[in-house]
Amino acid sequence: MIDTCAARMLVCFVLLAGAPGASAHDGHQESPGSQSAGSMVAGPSTDYAFPLAEPGTYRLPAIKPAAGGGVLDELGRGHDLAELMRGRISILAFIYTRCGDVCPTASLRLSQLQDLAAGNPGIARRLRLVSMSFDPEHDTPDVMADYAGHWRSVDPNAPEWLYVTTVDQKQLQPILAAYDQPVMPKTEPSSTGPLAHILRVFLIDPSGQVRNIYSLDFLDPELVLNDIRTLILDEEQHDRRMSPTR
Amino acid sequence: MAESTAFADETCQSPYMAKITGEEEFVYVWTLGVEGVGDGSDKIVTVDVRKDSPSFGKVIDVDSIGGRGEAHHGGFTDDRRYLWMAGLDDSRIYIFDIASDPANPKLLKTIDDFTEKSGGAVGPHGAYALPGRVLISALSNKDGSGRTALVEYSNDGAYVATHWMPTAADAQGAEVETIADGYGYDARVLPRKNVMLTSSFTGRDNYMRPLGDLVKDQEAMKHFGQTMVLWDFHGRKPKKVFHVPGAPLEIRWAWGPYNNYAFTSTALTSKIWLVYEDRDGAWKASAVADIGTPSEMPVPVDISLSADDRTLFVDTFMDGMTRVFDVSDPHKPKQIYEKKIGSQVNMVSQSWDGTRLYYTSSLLANWDKTGQDNEQFLKAYSWDGQQLAPRFEIDFMAEKLGRPHIMQFGSRSLYPS
Repeated sequence: MIDTCAARMLVCFVLLAGAPGASAHDGHQESPGSQSAGSMVAGPSTDYAFPLAEPGTYRLPAIKPAAGGGVLDELGRGHDLAELMRGRISILAFIYTRCGDVCPTASLRLSQLQDLAAGNPGIARRLRLVSMSFDPEHDTPDVMADYAGHWRSVDPNAPEWLYVTTVDQKQLQPILAAYDQPVMPKTEPSSTGPLAHILRVFLIDPSGQVRNIYSLDFLDPELVLNDIRTLILDEEQHDRRMSPTR
Repeated sequence: MAESTAFADETCQSPYMAKITGEEEFVYVWTLGVEGVGDGSDKIVTVDVRKDSPSFGKVIDVDSIGGRGEAHHGGFTDDRRYLWMAGLDDSRIYIFDIASDPANPKLLKTIDDFTEKSGGAVGPHGAYALPGRVLISALSNKDGSGRTALVEYSNDGAYVATHWMPTAADAQGAEVETIADGYGYDARVLPRKNVMLTSSFTGRDNYMRPLGDLVKDQEAMKHFGQTMVLWDFHGRKPKKVFHVPGAPLEIRWAWGPYNNYAFTSTALTSKIWLVYEDRDGAWKASAVADIGTPSEMPVPVDISLSADDRTLFVDTFMDGMTRVFDVSDPHKPKQIYEKKIGSQVNMVSQSWDGTRLYYTSSLLANWDKTGQDNEQFLKAYSWDGQQLAPRFEIDFMAEKLGRPHIMQFGSRSLYPS
């Protein structure tokens, strides 16, 4: 029996089969001597080439408010996206399940983040992962639920990971516009899916402010976890300053 | 986003930016207005470079911003939908919508509170694409002396943060080789190493002053940058301040997956410098070659590194030359070609495949040559690895446009409907 992580890696390899190498702006390359598909997927997520700054030693200034909008959960129930994220630190990733390019890699990294956070209850209970599809015609709630099954941890200590979609393009487009997430049909048939997009993953604080935006270059689970810890330290310092017993 | 193996793009662009599939179709030229020439206003000039187009090599669109503010540098957002162009004098940033009609840019928004929001920075210079954000490297500050900052915006033009350059008084924890002077110019990121490099020029008091006056003022000439700063990019913290005398300007990171180095050129000392990660893991800076005859002050102004990291084009303003160096061994550049482009030359941009190069002429409004030597042009060449061959040229004064400076490439293929 293969373990959960290995199974996720396998899903990632299958989805990436036939995909070209990472485009230049993603900046990821195999390490010397490792040419397998496995190393391409696992490379930067497991072996980022730089030391990480200590949590709390750097700033994560607010970039913009995290927008809301109508979304559907895996059971087809309607929610407001901003309300789903409110009160916790959220990692919001825009993906689509037919992607054979960067989305499976992003989902793998989020699954690794979920596993990391599962080992720290203080973080897990304050964190929520959200993967949102920008392909509502294909990615129905049922499809999202099936996709979630490939990635989501079954560990009860893991932070929540929601998978949402929209009813249609009319509901989707204002959300994409608010998050400045470009998506467009590819002009030619492609083995990596029908949509062209840039991967954007958002770190959102409990008050609804975007505090970081990741491409694959910095979607290192350890780095994102440090950013989450930095937000928690910020919040604790703020609470201490506001405390009447201070 | 692109899937073709034939990319066309300026090789100096942010690694975070979407790339063009196939050849570039348009060149956007940020152009300084000249009083009495056309409308006298700074403008975006769109040139058609589609080789099968009836208007190939012609100006097909002009978008004036209604004033002169020392148009200089700028760049695209990471999704390449918006082009941010800045003024060194008026400290305004003009955001053009490119995606709606790449042949016809439209001014969408103007940021006119850069100095106020940034806490005192002036002279917005480069616009460098980060994920969902734009990093503006400024040249100066309100008092004109030159201590400056990097200023971060969201893609929709909202101010995010200011990161001041380290100085002798406040090195911000950075290791300082000799001096931390606080000047700024370019900013470029190598994501896989989580490092950003910045370079240094001079303050507003100098860059807005007529060059003839400036060079006679020995005190003023002391106030040029002599540093490059290596930053922890993720934390936006300076780590090391290198001593690179002579105003290091444009920075070009190598593209190869294991090429952990960048080139720059120094305007006043006429040298190519290499900033590199050594075998011991330490980052170092070394002068690796002369550009022309340094004692003759050719004044290197722009460089362009080929996508295969083997060829470096270097423009020198005073003699109007472009020199091509073989940089296969980055520690030992060797000049392999040179050509006079015009009486003065400034920016050079090359396609991703390295076969097409574009040159413009203007440095700064008060630093350009005068009289017959004040040629103002865009010239396009093909490069076969041996020599440059002319494709077309546009006389920006005859066309009543002004002084052309930075170029950016566009293509409709980025925005399928």
